[in-house]
Amino acid sequence: MRERLLTGNFHLPQSHTLRVYRETGGYAGLEKAFALPPAAITEEVKKSNLRGLGGAGFPTGIKWGFIPKGHQGPIYLVINADEGEPGTFKDRYLLEKDPHSLIEGMIISAYAIGAHVAFIYVRGEYVRPWRILRQAVEEAYAAGFLGRNILGSGFDLDVVIHRGAGAYICGEETGLISSLEGKKGWPKLKPPFPAVRGAFGAPTIVNNVETICHVPHIMRRGAEWFAGLGTNTQGGTRMYSVSGHVVRPGVYELPVSVTLRTLIYEHAGGLPNGRGLKAVVPGGSSAAILRAGEIDVTMDVDGLKNAGTMAGSAGVIVMDDTVSIPEALMVVARFYAHESCGQCTPCRESTGWIFKMAKRIVEGKGRKEDLDTILDVARRGAGTTICAFYDGAVGPYISYIEKFREEFEALIPRA
Amino acid sequence: MSVAGAGTAELTPEQLAEVRRLQGLYPDKRAALLPVLQLAQDACGYISLETEAYVARLFDLSPAHVHEVVTFYTLFFREPKGRHVISVCHNLTCHLLGAEDAIAHLKARLGVEVGGTTKDGRVTLLSVECLCACEMAPMMQVDDRYEGPLTPETIDRILEGLQ
Amino acid sequence: MPKLTIDGRESEVPEGTGVIEAARRLGIEVPHYCYHPGLSIAGQCRLCMVEIGNNPRPQIACNTQVVEGMVVRTETPKVLETRQAIMEFHLINHPLDCPVCDQAGECWLQIYYMKHGLYEPRMVDEKVHKPKAVPLGPHVILDAERCILCSRCVRFCDEITGTGELGIFQRGDHSEIGLFPGRELANPYSGNVVDICPVGALTDRDFRFAVRVWYLETAKSICPGCSRGCNIAVHSNLRRPHHDGGRRVARLKPRYHAEVNRWWICDAGRYGYKFVDDPSRVRFPTRGRGDAAAEVGWDEIVPLIAGQLRRYQPGEIGVLASPQMANEDLFLLRRLVDHLGLAHVDFRVPPSRPGDEDRILIKADKNPNRRGAELIGLGPRDGGLDARGMLRAARERRIKCLWVFHHDLLASAWPEGEIREALESLECLLFQGSNGNGVRLLAHYVLPSAAWVEREGTFTNFEGRVQRFWKAVEPLGAARADWEIVARIGEALGLSFMPDTGEDCFKALAATVPAFAGLSYRELRDTGRLVWDCAGRGPA
Repeated sequence: MRERLLTGNFHLPQSHTLRVYRETGGYAGLEKAFALPPAAITEEVKKSNLRGLGGAGFPTGIKWGFIPKGHQGPIYLVINADEGEPGTFKDRYLLEKDPHSLIEGMIISAYAIGAHVAFIYVRGEYVRPWRILRQAVEEAYAAGFLGRNILGSGFDLDVVIHRGAGAYICGEETGLISSLEGKKGWPKLKPPFPAVRGAFGAPTIVNNVETICHVPHIMRRGAEWFAGLGTNTQGGTRMYSVSGHVVRPGVYELPVSVTLRTLIYEHAGGLPNGRGLKAVVPGGSSAAILRAGEIDVTMDVDGLKNAGTMAGSAGVIVMDDTVSIPEALMVVARFYAHESCGQCTPCRESTGWIFKMAKRIVEGKGRKEDLDTILDVARRGAGTTICAFYDGAVGPYISYIEKFREEFEALIPRA
Repeated sequence: MSVAGAGTAELTPEQLAEVRRLQGLYPDKRAALLPVLQLAQDACGYISLETEAYVARLFDLSPAHVHEVVTFYTLFFREPKGRHVISVCHNLTCHLLGAEDAIAHLKARLGVEVGGTTKDGRVTLLSVECLCACEMAPMMQVDDRYEGPLTPETIDRILEGLQ
Repeated sequence: MPKLTIDGRESEVPEGTGVIEAARRLGIEVPHYCYHPGLSIAGQCRLCMVEIGNNPRPQIACNTQVVEGMVVRTETPKVLETRQAIMEFHLINHPLDCPVCDQAGECWLQIYYMKHGLYEPRMVDEKVHKPKAVPLGPHVILDAERCILCSRCVRFCDEITGTGELGIFQRGDHSEIGLFPGRELANPYSGNVVDICPVGALTDRDFRFAVRVWYLETAKSICPGCSRGCNIAVHSNLRRPHHDGGRRVARLKPRYHAEVNRWWICDAGRYGYKFVDDPSRVRFPTRGRGDAAAEVGWDEIVPLIAGQLRRYQPGEIGVLASPQMANEDLFLLRRLVDHLGLAHVDFRVPPSRPGDEDRILIKADKNPNRRGAELIGLGPRDGGLDARGMLRAARERRIKCLWVFHHDLLASAWPEGEIREALESLECLLFQGSNGNGVRLLAHYVLPSAAWVEREGTFTNFEGRVQRFWKAVEPLGAARADWEIVARIGEALGLSFMPDTGEDCFKALAATVPAFAGLSYRELRDTGRLVWDCAGRGPA
């Protein structure tokens, strides 16, 4: 039977309430966690092979382990609910349908890392998810799951919900920290890494919503069970957001060993109107595009990495055979130009430039050297910036042109 | 926020109490800048330069640093907006499923360009990047609500509900 | 102290040193825009990439701290390629308007393009347009299209002056630096943002379109604007004076000194040199008061003045030296005063209002050499009168001859009427100075002093640091350094010590005044020497 850890309650009426959450075993993981010393929880999470599900795929337990041992002074847990990667919408579902699993995960995670204040950074456009989450936090305080001496454990935790104000870059963990501190969402130089010096100068762990929602399940049912759901290098399930040309767009919680083909054709119902598949973006807009013939890959971090793309945020965008790839690149390039924070020169200057070139090509005013210029600019700019935003943009810039070059060339007038 | 005479913008005592509460939530009060700007915008409809300067004083910041923040984020409006704001997603999935048609339909129905506000002040029309609701593409945000999938019919119905 | 290797050369640097600074110590310049040693690390320009160890990707040298055994390579093919790419990114939206840009010739876009760019331009699309020729304040003008958003100016206003006027607004390639609408960049140090702007985005309104920088000569100097003694460079325009209405001094720039002023100077000092080419300059010696004043040559005036000084009893003569004068001038004057056995000597005249002071550089004492005058001993001698006392005595006609250096006594803190009466009561008023003032108008004899940029010398700053300044331009008209004038008059009065140069004066000073013992121009070099411990009130 298919394990549905995160989405198991979604079908229940009032799934966002404390009552329903508790009736379905909620907050049981917390009691187990409090019986363990904090370091043992981090060890469990390491053993579970839980990896960050926001986009980078970094092993969560290892990240927690970067907090300096014996640190005196505050430590912060920050939940990244600034969902923004095009093609991704899973965190919105979690916030709206099961906010208490996030809260329980936060309490356990905060206990593990020694944080007594946790911030949840919710993207500004998510008004309904924010309202539901706020209500859930209030319920949790009222029931003694938040605040002083939680469940008589002696552990204190306060939660502050912080709303973003419209900037994709705030999904980048250090951009998020800047924004949380009341500044522009400019990512910060590393080192120091947030686990050493993050929000307000204190050690800080930033984790994605979905990642943290997994933690109570690891506590309840054990790291080995969780690890066993996935591959050798990535445990558990994850929520795939499937959109575009599919019959049943939506969120699908599946083991990470699922193939892209199965996801599209079995779970999402295949393509509508009898159209053929042209291409798929498998992990949010920053992931390299795959051709129709490249979808027999498993959807775990390493499976997609080996296929030359990335699992990213698990946002799957399906394109049928009517789609103009150059137009798609123009749309994607417009996004990166709009969202570049402007801090690093290569990203600031070339995202705008590449959008102008892509637009010109779509408008039939391309020059034969444009395609190589885009490829060269993207390659030379990659890896030169403070954060991974530009590398994310490079994924589509290069893959769209390399995999569908003839489509671009067809739009460029011959001299 | 009451606008007491040209160029001044001040918060009520209740709102100032809320500002202090927000500032107290964080280890550094500056962290409350975004929430306080949101509060000011909710009260005033938009964030004028006078509001920026006023908020800067509440935070002991230079107004330039508040201006940096206000101009960085897309959800801060620097000019009065319509009573309703429609933000149509034009990112990839919505584009694939007809965002441009939806925008064209809205432009025709409202008689404004993207970025414009109807003459009666009812609606401001914007196109925006991914709102992360691709399962309902093409979609848009109408004030606090997400709406989609959009068709000419659903758009017309939504517009009828906006006063 | 960790040891590292940069381009095959070993070096040992203090813990916490950045790779970019470690390279600089070896004379290896890693190209950069946003990095500035006086400001926090921004890491935005991405130009200072170097290869470190086996890391496959080049890293920025500014934010990487040296660790033991680190191997850094600054000129590998990968580094050179990355630099070239970054240069292209910096320039794609740049207007390339060098012919009309004041920065041309000292622009780091030009310099680094030639060194690290040299690619074939391929940007054919419309560039991003931003505000141009926007005055930000009294001294600085902005061209946002030329700006590479290195944020140095923003960090300067945040971190050095703490005034925070500037910000980077918007985002992406529409990001631009600017002021909060309606505000000004008018802090007392605003001109420094022009110095640290590596490109032509922030230029100096005072220097705008005045002279091409390649026509400028440079002389090392010390700002005379207050007792801080900021190290500066005087940029003079000798080859194309017609380009700037004959103005010889084109601009002053700060010169780094770790203990005195670091990289900065204040605006008052930066723009305070205008008196040098001002119409108020005294160009020739004159004799006769007011309308009767007539220009005369040095050969004529020196015996006349010597005669006046001989004519009066020592008790009837007062000398009012100035803390604007160099140590050399003050020393020679002291010699002459001693030679003539004068007791009424002073240099202290309170300003009409107290000077402003801050915790950055600006000192309330607007004189560059008060400490020098104190150390050399230009105060009243053997029960002689101080400045105020001399003026009182003049009113009572007990002092009959007064030699005033530079001071505008009528614009001091003292009652103008009383001072005027005193000066008018004198039988012989000698005024020696570079620029005219109320005292000059009442003087019987006027002696033209060279301005500080027209001569060499030394000042002793508030903390007792003796610092050299060099000659940048020739004296106007017949003006001479104060010590030269004093020497000529002294010669006529039988003074045996006759220096030929400022350095001769300084040597004698070092041999005579204990605080200066052992010093020489050579010894002072560019950084000067602390000779007086102000806290301990004794030799350093």
